[in-house]
Parts: sequence; C-alpha cells; structure tokens
Amino acid sequence: MKSPIESPEGDWWSEQVNRRETIWLGISGLWAMTLFGWMAGWTEFGEQNQVGETLEVPTGRYQEKVAAFKESATETDRGLVPPDTDVYVGAMRYAFDGLPAVVETGTEYTFHLGTYDVQHGFSVRQEDTLSKQLSLQMLPGYEWLMPMEFDEPGTYHVVCNEFCGTGHRTMHAKFEVVEDLSAVESGDSDGGESGGESDSAGGDYGGWFTDDASGGEASNYDGSTTDATDSDAVTVTVGPGGEFTFDPPALRVSSGTTVTFDWASDTHNVFVERQPEGANWNGHESIENTGFSFEHTFETPGVYAYYCDPHLSLGMKGVVEVV
Amino acid sequence: MFGLGTFEYDSDGFRDCSVTGLRIHRSAEDMVKLFGVTAILALAVGGVFAIFVALTRWELVGLLGPADFYTYLSIHAWNLLIFWMVFMEIAILYVGGPFVLGRKLPLKNVAKAAYALMIGGALVINVSIWLTDQPDQAPLLTSYAPLPSSSWFYLGVVVFLVGALVAAIPFLTTIWKQKREYPRKTLPLVTFGAFVTSIVAAEAIVGGLITYVPTYLWRIGVLAHIDAVWYRQMYWIIGHGSQQINLLAMISIWYFMTHVVGGAEVASEKVSRTAFVLYLFFINMGAAHHLMSDPGVSTAWRVWNTSYAAYGAVVASMIHAFAIPAGLEVGRRKRGEGGGTFGWLWSAPWKDPGFSSTVLSIILFGFLGGTTGVMMGQMQLNMTWHNTLATVGHFHATVALGTTLAFMGLGYYVLRLVFGREWILKPVAMVQPYIYAGAMSIVVLMMMYLGILYGIPRRHPSVTDIPGTDFDFAAAEPLFIIFGIAALLAILGGALFVVAAVGTLLAGGKYDGALPVEAPTAFGGETPVPDGGGDRASPDGGGDTTAPDGGVDATASGGGEAVDTEAADAEGSSPPWYEDAAHHALSMRGTFLMTLVFLGAFVVLWALNWYLLSQLWQVG
Repeated sequence: MKSPIESPEGDWWSEQVNRRETIWLGISGLWAMTLFGWMAGWTEFGEQNQVGETLEVPTGRYQEKVAAFKESATETDRGLVPPDTDVYVGAMRYAFDGLPAVVETGTEYTFHLGTYDVQHGFSVRQEDTLSKQLSLQMLPGYEWLMPMEFDEPGTYHVVCNEFCGTGHRTMHAKFEVVEDLSAVESGDSDGGESGGESDSAGGDYGGWFTDDASGGEASNYDGSTTDATDSDAVTVTVGPGGEFTFDPPALRVSSGTTVTFDWASDTHNVFVERQPEGANWNGHESIENTGFSFEHTFETPGVYAYYCDPHLSLGMKGVVEVV
Repeated sequence: MFGLGTFEYDSDGFRDCSVTGLRIHRSAEDMVKLFGVTAILALAVGGVFAIFVALTRWELVGLLGPADFYTYLSIHAWNLLIFWMVFMEIAILYVGGPFVLGRKLPLKNVAKAAYALMIGGALVINVSIWLTDQPDQAPLLTSYAPLPSSSWFYLGVVVFLVGALVAAIPFLTTIWKQKREYPRKTLPLVTFGAFVTSIVAAEAIVGGLITYVPTYLWRIGVLAHIDAVWYRQMYWIIGHGSQQINLLAMISIWYFMTHVVGGAEVASEKVSRTAFVLYLFFINMGAAHHLMSDPGVSTAWRVWNTSYAAYGAVVASMIHAFAIPAGLEVGRRKRGEGGGTFGWLWSAPWKDPGFSSTVLSIILFGFLGGTTGVMMGQMQLNMTWHNTLATVGHFHATVALGTTLAFMGLGYYVLRLVFGREWILKPVAMVQPYIYAGAMSIVVLMMMYLGILYGIPRRHPSVTDIPGTDFDFAAAEPLFIIFGIAALLAILGGALFVVAAVGTLLAGGKYDGALPVEAPTAFGGETPVPDGGGDRASPDGGGDTTAPDGGVDATASGGGEAVDTEAADAEGSSPPWYEDAAHHALSMRGTFLMTLVFLGAFVVLWALNWYLLSQLWQVG
C-alpha cells in the first residue's frame, strides 16, 4: 500500500521506477528541449520575432515626436505617407495618433509604438484574413521600435486590445499597404472629408449630435442650446470631469463674441467639422492636456460644428452657433 | 461550526474518519468548513456575474453597455479567479496539513484573524468595484497602472493578501511541529504537495504586496509616478502566481481524490516528489509569459524565462500527467479491479461525482489548459495569443475546467467526510460534473478559435459593431452563438453544483461512514498483470485477467483500517506474491498509451500554431 496520505516507509528514493514511466520522463525532457530549441532557432531563421529597441521617452516628449512625424509626412486622402521608413503611432484614450498611414510593400519600416496616457495594445490584422493578426503591448513612458515589412497589399486594421477605459472598444485605426507609393502621393489632396450633410438647418444642427453623423451620439446634448448672446466672453469646458464631452455642447453667441476652450482632462483637441462659408476657424488640431486653453472670436454668423478627434466615436462633439 | 456537521468528537476533540482512516481534530475541521463554505459563496457570486458577462459578449443578446460590462467583468474575475480559489486553497492547506498528519490546527486565533482579513478585503474589493465612478475605471483582474481604479480597491487587495499570507502560518506551524516530533519521517505526498503550494503561494502574495502597496500610495497621491513596466513585472508575480497556487493545490487534490475515491496509489514517490520540487523552482518564472510581447523587458530576459524556467515547470506537469493516472492504474490493477489495457479505467466509479470531477479535471486541464499555456508561452507564438479571446480560453481551461472541477470534486467529499452529510439530489450530483465539463469545454474551444482564427480582442463588450468605423468582427458571429449557448449551459452546470452542495449542507442526511464507492482495500482474487519492468522478460500483454466482482472482501467493514494492507493479513487470506510487489512491476500500459495520445495532440496543436504565425508579415 502506497498511499499519498501516509508517510512512505523505508528508502523510497531508491525504489525502481517503472520502465514506461522512465520512457515518459525521457520523452518529456526531449519535448521540452524541442520546444526551446525551436523557439531559439526561430529568432535566427524565423521572420516573426517581436524584437526591437526600446527607448525610455516621457509621454509628453513622445507626443511631440509623433507631432513632428505628422508634420513631416505627406498628407493624402488615404492617410499619411511617411517621409522615410519611420512610422509613429501614438496611442491615447481612445485613438491612435499618427494613423492612418500608407506604406509600401517590400520596404522594411520601423513602427514606433508609444502612448500618451495609459497602457494600450497595438493589435493588427489584415482586413480580408482576420487570422493574420498579431498584438504588441504599448506602454506609457516607453517607445518601442518594431521593424515590419509587408508583402501583401491591403488594409490593415488596428484595434486597442489592452483595456484603457470605458471607451476602449471604440479605439480603432488602420493603415494601408500599397505596391506603389508614388501613385498615392500623386493623387495628393488635402480636402477634409466633409462629404454629406451640407444642410446646417434645423434645431438639431442637421443631426450632428446623433450617431447618424460621423462618430457616436453626444451623451450630454438634450436638444437645447445654451444661449449666451448677451455675453462678450464665454467658456467651453473640454472634457469636464473626465467625461468625453464639451460643456455646453451647443452654444449660441452673438457675432464678435470670444469663446475660450478650457481643457479639464487629457488628450483632447478641437477639430472643425464644418463652418459657415467665409469663416476660417482652425480649431486646435494638436492634442493637449489639462490646463491648456485657447480662444477664438467668432465673427461670421452661422453654425460651427466641431469635435474632439480622439473621442469622436464616443460622441465628443460641439456646436457654436453665431447669430 | 455553523451546526451543519453531524460528527461527534472524542474528549480530545479528535474523531476517526471511517473512509480515509485519518484522525481529524475539530480545530482544523472547523476552519476547513469556514473557508470551504466561503469559497462556495464566492463561486455563486462569480457565477451570477458570469451570466451577465457571457450574455454581453454574445452580442445577439448584448445585455450590458460598456461601463456596466467592465464592472461586472471585474467582479466576475475577482470572485472566481481569486476569492473562490484562495479561500478553497486555505481549506486545502488545512486538509493537507492537520488532517493528513492527524494533528490539531495550531494558532487557531491566527487562522480566525486571517479569515477576518480575507473576508474584509474581499468585501471592500467587491463594493469598491461596484461603486466605480469617473475618473476611476473598473480594475478588471489586472488593474494596470496608470489607469486609475478606486483607492479603496487597492486597499482591499492589500488587506486580502495580508490575510491570505497570515492564513498560511497555522499550516506551516503544523509542518514545523510534525518535523520536530518526527524528524526522520517523510511527509505524506499530499502534505508535501500542500507544503510546496504554501511556498509558491507565499512568493506570489509577497509579490502582490510589493505591487499593491506602492500602487495604493500612488493612487492616494503619496507617490507621484508609477511606472507601467515595473507595475506589469511586479503585478504578474501575483497575477499569475495566484494561478500557480491553483495548479499546485489542484494537483495535490488529484493525488488525494484519485486515492480516496478511485483507490489510486503512488506510482513512484521519487518521481512525483521531484515534479513538485521542479515546480518550486521553476513555476513562478512561468508568469513571464505575460510579458512576451512587452517593450519593457529584454529579449534575453524573455527567452531565459520561457526556456529554462517555463520548461522546468512544463516537464513537472508532464510528469504528473503520467504519475496520477499511473497511480490509479496500479492501484486498481493491484486490487484486481479491471484487467486488460483499460479495464481499470472502465470499472472506475464514473457515477461518483467526486471521481468524475477529478478525472475530467485531469484530462481537460491537460489537453485544453496545459497545451495552450505552452503555446502562448513561446515568445513568438505569444504575439498571436496576446490579449485575444484565446488567452481567456486558456485560463478558463486551466481554472474554470481544471481547478474548478477539482475543487468541485473535493467539495463533494468535504460534504461527506467533513460535514458528515450524504448528498441530496444524487442524480443531479451524478450528472453535474459532465454537464459543467462538457459545456465549459465548448466555451473554451470557442474562445480559442475566436481569439486565434478571428483575432477577437478580450475585454471588449462588443466587436461586431465598432463605433466610428465600418470595420468589425461580424464574421465571427456563428462561433459567438455556439459560445453563448454553451456558456449558459456551463453556468447552469455550475449552479447545479451550488444547489447540490448547499442543499446537502442544509438538508442532507447523516453520511453513515460507509466506504466510498472504491475504497482502497484488499486484493481481488486474480493475478494482476506484471509489467515487463526492469530486465524481466515477462510480456506485457500476457494474461488479461479481470477480477470477479471487484473482489472487495469483508475487510471493507473494517472501516478505517481498510486502507492498511495489514488488515488483509489479519483476515488470514494468504497474500499473493504481488501484494508487496513494487509498483514499478505492475503494468502502466494504459496510462502510457493515453499519455502518447496526449503528446500527439500537443505536437499537432503546436505545429498548427507555428504554421499560423509563419503566415504573417515580417516582424522584428
């Protein structure tokens, strides 16, 4: 009787081991060595190894690097064409800055992966073959330089797969792989993609706050417009209390009023969706953090619709109506 | 404790267990009941939240919005991965120590204080997750800094971890006293397993405190900055370490339950103990596989930890994968319970939920949980598994199939042998392990397919509709339908366990101490098949003999003594030559064939994973 709940008697260490158990021990050892040998070998002869240089870069500095990349890249309507073989991706809640980009087959690019706020995931798949996918971790304070080379042209979709907050599921971007970059660049155009919705009429601003327009539904718009036509200066809070909203979402002012946009949480910008003809408000396209503010004096009457680019899909949208 | 038990103790507070032959003291038994019942409550809570999580991910139903989904998912994770497991593990330590060694539980007040800390911590964690509000986010299991959660959450974790650490002290004191009293005596294998578990647990918990104390200080503003790389590396000491505790506790239970219910014996003390020692040295480094696709650790660090370290643990698991069925095979062959290659298996008590849960746990843990753990632990393959639903599939295979089934099996016997109550709703108890294991296996397979073949991310309340883009994962919808239905069935299987267990506690009749279905007892009348071990020439296949009707003789009524071979001698039946035969001389060919099948499946899965990886674009 050799019970597992009784102390073994005598010299149990020297007892013979069954022949088949001995064989199994050998098989297990060989299998473990095979597993290791294959993995070590793949770093030499395999094409897929998530090995790249890591730099320690503070989040603010990384944000500047991505901004510089965007500055130097060629803007096309299919995305940014990098000036050389470096592609910068800055993840933030809930968008990938630097994407969409266009790269070409057969060239080795270095993807720079970093974040502006919390941990994110860089999960890439080919649009038409979902099983061709991989995931790399993105961490604040670190820039990971990952070489990649593509042979198959097509659209590659990026989703965040590290939980980063309630809007996590909306975090999506893409890049395109093409065979000939020069074709993309010659079709160069800088027009904003403001197709559709030319009607700015109606009390609901052409459905701008609903999810029929681009992006999600604005959670804080109840159909009413805050009237500030008798003030000279008004403030719009950007991301109050960490919510993905502008407060007030819809604002009515008189011509000549100065509106101050005040950042109350991180990683927001103000992108202009549409504005009256003749007006040239640029919003504020670079991404800023708590404490930042800018102002603009609205002169041309009409409806100015704007949004926060990283959080458009969460319905972070606003309107300034000038009368 | 609770007035739920039916056993009487003698004037010293001891009683003899008529089934296992163990001498059990009331002090230990009370605490096992307390921790065990709390564990089952946590299972019930986590199970209720599982309904909401599954019905959200099954987007045809799409029950919860994003904010609620993360709250419910966090509560599901903490109650099942942590509270159900750790409370049960403390109960297992007290079974593996004081019960098996026949000792009192020392420092009973320390155990009570530990319980108070653990239950207090668990409540604070649950409430703080439930009340999560902006700018805090639900922590999920990982609470990855610098994404903030409620400061109460971090505090709750610290309190719970301190409690779990303190709870190990009475167990370690038991071992200390035993070794002082009998310095030359080897610890029983189950106690040895529990001892290794306690060391691995202590390492994990200390890692957890190193993680959560600074994180708490950061959240309340004492520390200005917390580094994401540092957090991830520290966090996984507890994050995966806590699951290594599950693994070791589960394996100790496998040895215990196959013995008590199936009549297994130890095939080789040397081999099984060596495997436990391998775990002691290597398994914690296995946690490194969480960082295989991270920028913060060097390639050398990653290869070192996935090679030397992980394979030390993989070999240990493969040893147990042979040793435990082999123990069952030799134990049953020795008593003539089934000849041939697999007769010992067919004749096993498959209707006993204690046995079926344990065996299903062993098989499903190995095929679905162990193999996939090795896949994602290979540095390059990790890229295709990392943070996909396949990862969730892996840990449901290990924890929801392997460990939970093993704990359910033990739970059935805790009801009988600790509370002294016979199961009510026996037909329910009989089918429950099969329903749960079958449905959960389908859930796990679907998660793996969804993750690997469709790249579905984990932790998303919806993937078939991504706001702001036309791209989505709607192609995976058919698999999600199978997933959703199987998940509901699995939850039903889990609920049946809770119903049977709680019903038995409250309404079960007195368990009369009859031997369980298969008591390890005297031999059958036939000659077991000797193995061709060593140099002996006797062929394996010779003389497939089957014992007539189990061959359990009158020794059975001898109660506790039945486990002792001397009892057979006392009956006067002349022992055949093989009674004292060493186990290496008995055939293990059934086990050997099964492990070869396992290896084959392992190799095929591994090759398929590498094939998929090789189809990707060039990286690195």
